[in-house]
Amino acid sequence: MAEKTLDCLGEACPVPLVKTQKALAAMEIGDVLVVAIDHSCAMKNIPEWADKAGHNFEIDEVEGGRWDIVIEKVN
Amino acid sequence: MSDITSATAAGANRASSGGLRDNAIFKALFVDPWSYRTGAVILGLLNVILLAATSSGWGVTTALTYWGAWIWEILGGNPHSWAYFAEASKPFNNPGHDFLHDAGSLSNLGLILGAALSVLLASQFRIKKIKSGKQIGAAILGGLMMGVGARMAFGCNIGSMFTGLPSMSLHGWVFMVAIFLGAAVGSRLLVKYFI
Repeated sequence: MAEKTLDCLGEACPVPLVKTQKALAAMEIGDVLVVAIDHSCAMKNIPEWADKAGHNFEIDEVEGGRWDIVIEKVN
Repeated sequence: MSDITSATAAGANRASSGGLRDNAIFKALFVDPWSYRTGAVILGLLNVILLAATSSGWGVTTALTYWGAWIWEILGGNPHSWAYFAEASKPFNNPGHDFLHDAGSLSNLGLILGAALSVLLASQFRIKKIKSGKQIGAAILGGLMMGVGARMAFGCNIGSMFTGLPSMSLHGWVFMVAIFLGAAVGSRLLVKYFI
């Protein structure tokens, strides 16, 4: 059960989502990816994609305008 | 969909609890993103009001062209002699036409102030870092191409599409097809060279 952090601070859509998809594809089932974002659209489209793809996820607002999306690879 | 909304709402509560952000009405209005449908209806209504008040629909880049030309004028250039303003964008040379008498310039200013107000109300204002030189290069190149493209098409996705389509203008439909083709090529380039 590896945990990896993906720094997407300062990056605008759709870069955080595409990077998340790539990073998660290279991980094993059960691994956890923490995506750090400060772009509010990514706070919508990354969870939407994770939900559709069937992964578990959680959003943490670390500070104003700064979020961590924690995704557990399920399949 | 409903799962996402609740997860987002739960996450948003964690960082700053207490105060207005915990008020459900304030949160729904100013913190959580509005649905696409809500946004679309409000934008449509605002464009009707703008058309009634100023006799022209919403546009963004024509005014930006004026801003660039005014800056050029301050630097000593003479944009008033340009063919573009003589032929294509005539209001620029009208007597007394300046920033405060240009509806497009004022609505652009409102757009910037409104965006700032929105992010401040949501407590999400942040100075973002520049990630890389590549990001700067892509932003400048992309901005230039969009600017030139918007002038060639006589409008951007707002003036040509959002305002052009409801005015039943054929150029809006041509623009829409072209923008989808351009976005398809652009996304492939983005994934190939930028990620």
